[in-house]
Amino acid sequence: MALSLCGCYEAFTPDIDTTPVLCLNSLITAGEPIEVSVTRTKLYTDESTDLTVDDAIVAIYANGELCDDAYLPREGDRIHIVAESREYGRAEAEVMVPVAVEAESFEWTASLTDVYTGNAELPAYSASVEFNISATLKIPDPAGHENFYGISYYGYNRSAPEGSGDELFSPYPPATYFDMGTFQYSAEPIFSEHIGIFESVMGSDASGFTFFTDRQFSGKTYPLHLIFSSCRWMADSEHWLSEYFECGFEFTLHSVSQSFYNWSNYLWQRDNGTLEDLGNLGLGDSIRGFSNVSTGAGVVAAQSYRSYTIDLTDFIKEAVGEK
Amino acid sequence: MKRLLFIIGLLSTSLLSVGRNVSISAADRPAAEVFRNIVEQTGMNFVYSSDILKDLRISVEAQDKPLRKVLDGMFCGTGIEYRIKGDNVILRRRKIRKEKKKNTKIVYRAAADTSKATMLDEIIVVSRLEAPAVETAEIGARKITAEEVRNTPALFGESDVIKTLQMQPGVAEGTEGLAGMYVHGGNADENLFMLDNVPLYQVNHFAGLFSAFNTDIIRYIDFFKSSMPAKYDGRLSSFMDVRLNNGRTEGHHGSGRLGLTSGAFNISGPIGKKTSYLIGLRRSWYEVLSIPMLAIANSYTEDKTRFRYAFMDLNGKITHRFNKRATGFVSIYFGDDILKTGTKGKEITELWYEDDKFNMHWGNLVAQAGLNYKIAPALTVEFTAAYTRFFSGMTHDYYTRDNTTENATESKFMTKTDNNINDWIIRGDFDWQPADNSRIRFGAGYTRHSFLPGRTTKHYDFNGTNVDSRDSMWNYRANEFNVYIEDEWKISNVLRANIGIHASLFGVGGKTRQGVSPRLSLAWRVSKNVTVKAAYSRTVQYVHQLSQSYLSLPTDQWIPITGDFKPQTADKVSVGGYWESPDGKLTASVEAYYKSMHNLIDYRDEYYLKPPLEMWNARLTSGRGTAKGIDFEIRKVFGRITGHISYSLAWADRTFKDKNGGKTFPARFDNRHTINITANWKISEKVSLNAAWTGHSGNRFTLMPQVWEQPDFGGSYKDEIPLRTGINNYRLPFYHRLDLSCTVNNSRGYWTFSLYNAYCHMNTIAIRRGTKEIIERTPDGIYYTSRPVFEKVKLLPVIPSVSYTWLF
Repeated sequence: MALSLCGCYEAFTPDIDTTPVLCLNSLITAGEPIEVSVTRTKLYTDESTDLTVDDAIVAIYANGELCDDAYLPREGDRIHIVAESREYGRAEAEVMVPVAVEAESFEWTASLTDVYTGNAELPAYSASVEFNISATLKIPDPAGHENFYGISYYGYNRSAPEGSGDELFSPYPPATYFDMGTFQYSAEPIFSEHIGIFESVMGSDASGFTFFTDRQFSGKTYPLHLIFSSCRWMADSEHWLSEYFECGFEFTLHSVSQSFYNWSNYLWQRDNGTLEDLGNLGLGDSIRGFSNVSTGAGVVAAQSYRSYTIDLTDFIKEAVGEK
Repeated sequence: MKRLLFIIGLLSTSLLSVGRNVSISAADRPAAEVFRNIVEQTGMNFVYSSDILKDLRISVEAQDKPLRKVLDGMFCGTGIEYRIKGDNVILRRRKIRKEKKKNTKIVYRAAADTSKATMLDEIIVVSRLEAPAVETAEIGARKITAEEVRNTPALFGESDVIKTLQMQPGVAEGTEGLAGMYVHGGNADENLFMLDNVPLYQVNHFAGLFSAFNTDIIRYIDFFKSSMPAKYDGRLSSFMDVRLNNGRTEGHHGSGRLGLTSGAFNISGPIGKKTSYLIGLRRSWYEVLSIPMLAIANSYTEDKTRFRYAFMDLNGKITHRFNKRATGFVSIYFGDDILKTGTKGKEITELWYEDDKFNMHWGNLVAQAGLNYKIAPALTVEFTAAYTRFFSGMTHDYYTRDNTTENATESKFMTKTDNNINDWIIRGDFDWQPADNSRIRFGAGYTRHSFLPGRTTKHYDFNGTNVDSRDSMWNYRANEFNVYIEDEWKISNVLRANIGIHASLFGVGGKTRQGVSPRLSLAWRVSKNVTVKAAYSRTVQYVHQLSQSYLSLPTDQWIPITGDFKPQTADKVSVGGYWESPDGKLTASVEAYYKSMHNLIDYRDEYYLKPPLEMWNARLTSGRGTAKGIDFEIRKVFGRITGHISYSLAWADRTFKDKNGGKTFPARFDNRHTINITANWKISEKVSLNAAWTGHSGNRFTLMPQVWEQPDFGGSYKDEIPLRTGINNYRLPFYHRLDLSCTVNNSRGYWTFSLYNAYCHMNTIAIRRGTKEIIERTPDGIYYTSRPVFEKVKLLPVIPSVSYTWLF
């Protein structure tokens, strides 16, 4: 409060020694080729944007063996990445590719909130369905070690071109529109397990953060609640074709390495938490960037996943009376 | 014989002290000791010459008698007469009247209160109210009067106990403006704050801007930072006991005060012949401004903003004299803070409605009952039963209604967090004086702790679909038992010792920890005015505070030692030299210390990445710390101008296995050099000026000068991530500040005008990575670009304030 009333900032150059170091970044996904980014750190006030390191040599080891270009990481592999540069020294990091967890079950229900079919004022056929989705993904957590998870999702609409959103207003029929609505992060308490009391009081919420740990259900099955509200399907066409109704959700349950969880959590804390702000005001300790690389710069993370689908085709058909 | 005259007095805590009744029981005790007892009860000063009192011993027995009656009885047959002038009890031999001397020098102490001592036609040499340091065995102990607290200028003109203590040598203030206290390299949670001997857990209001002690009703503060009395344990760094006034037994008197941020009202008086009461209330009054301002602002918008903040301190005390041997009292303290914020919004079409509410309520409740009983002339006991509770409740309610669809949707989200501690305390403290050269204090106590550091309940309701969760993992009950004994032993005229031991048991989670805290201090009086001392003390701490900021917040959690963690301990060795001028006006001291702290607990590296629902100890690490330094102080305790100058040279560091990669790092408030200067100038009976200047090496700060580019994992936007460095690797610029205040008395009370940071030196409290806008003017136009820069964050400018105190 005091700062907002009367505080001020003064630019200056601190007298402190710094030396650039190598930065190593890689997100390893089971079954996909490994990409490694090698750059360097820079002084914050250095405005140069080119941080590439031309002389870096990168070696990737899987379970202690040097890998060739054809190597594809498998679940359970231990990956060790080493980068060396004459100018910036050496950086290394290690990560285990987690074993994907198969959901015990995936159940969902859709509930209508509003249906509209036909409109005398419009020349063409048109329909709109609004609904909520409630799904439960039962995760059987493997016992014996810490596991970290993440959820991602997207909506699909077969009849709309990729990247669609405004197809209803497209001049080229048929035009359909599918909106996933609002994902209710608050409906699943585990999405906010990383939020402390202080952050909670300051109004931080889980919006956008879908990583979690097994600390509350280690070795047990956890029913993950996924709720979407105000979902909407719309179509505008003279003839109903079956592909118009083909829409739904694709959920992915990621098993992620601890470094991936920590990295994601760090970003949340930086952007949505309070510690960064307190540190910047001298009212708390500064939070330091998360890194699992030996130089303190970069993140080497790994993941594997399983996907689950909510197919809304029949639900939409029934709602508009086409079934 | 060279005449040596002494004044012993306490700075008055009231302008109306003479109306006080006194209860005292002394059989053949040294006069100075009896005076000190009366001074503590009444706030009156005693002014007398040393040759009058030399070897004088007094017997007196009085229960709740007017001061004059007690004095009449005390001096009957001693050849001493007294006069009461203002707040001074002036003593002289009867025969002196007949032997007036001319051209004698007159010196008096505590000009504000003893100026009328000039009527004494004698050479007066002064000494300190609190037992002079040259006469005691203690190191680093102070008895701070209420007047000293009120004379120390403070932010918003709110006199403040903790901010007064921040001016003591060896005490770092931490972050500017806040009531932080870091004693001899310790942490904020290593100080035990007590109100009339009962611990308080939450001692701040408004995130630490104000402390919870109502300075209008305090009598004095006992503060120990080096050689600790055996009675106290449970914290590593310091002990502070704030003693409140007792109720008056003659007439109803009090005061009312109105300042910029709060107002206070206090009254005390008799209830019948044997009972007295004291009531003190302090409350902030921000709402007077915030409510109408918000009402005006809200009248222009659809969204209605709520904001309300208030704090309050209520003290009540009833004292009852049962008989000549027994006096009992009950007291209560209730202090709380309330913060309510939120917004209520709707679209004009009323298709969308939203209500977002945050409520926070936190504070402290202390209820206490005590019985003082005189078992024998040389043995008294005080039994205490107390309940102290820290509570903190936070709720967040969020409600939305969406009428845009045919079936309206409603969503409710509620999260509620409770955080509290309940302590039930019983204890008995004995004070036995078996001989003139020995005073033995001993006692025992039991505390039943109940900790609920954090319980969060969440409720989500979406159109009838409910999800509830509640974590109840954090709930600890602990039993603490302690015993102590110490002997204040005058071995010879030049050698004193204080030998004691405090032993404790702390049982929690099926495991019992024990602590033994020996205490020893020795004083050798090299000459009449010079004493050297040495002391060793061990302290043990079983509870600690988890706080993510330097603010004092309701989210701070007190946690007992559990799991594999061991009790925190500190071993401290101190040596000191003390000098007092022959006239007692000046004192000087030098104290050196070395403190080794073990099993310290702190957050580990990247602790914030551990989910807080997890057991708290997964976020913590254990380690050690050292602190060493020298404190110099010169204090002028009497005269028109009083005050002190102190300088501290200090080092403090920490080493934790899982913090800073296991490397030793400097403590945040490792202020190498600290200079404090206070001055109180009593210009006249009506006007006095106070000044306080503080300067210290800047606080430590973790400055991360390098950055690396944020990787693109899953579409996150590009940003720069700071490259981690050593913790507290950078020292902020030198900090300095001058505070001034002026008190103007009138017939009904007094005005206080103050200036915080009088010469407006805005100090750096942090460094951040920011950007600076650059304006380039070219023939083509004006271009705005931004350049990354490091920026000093500067906080408080000059802040004037005014208050008026009405006395009745």
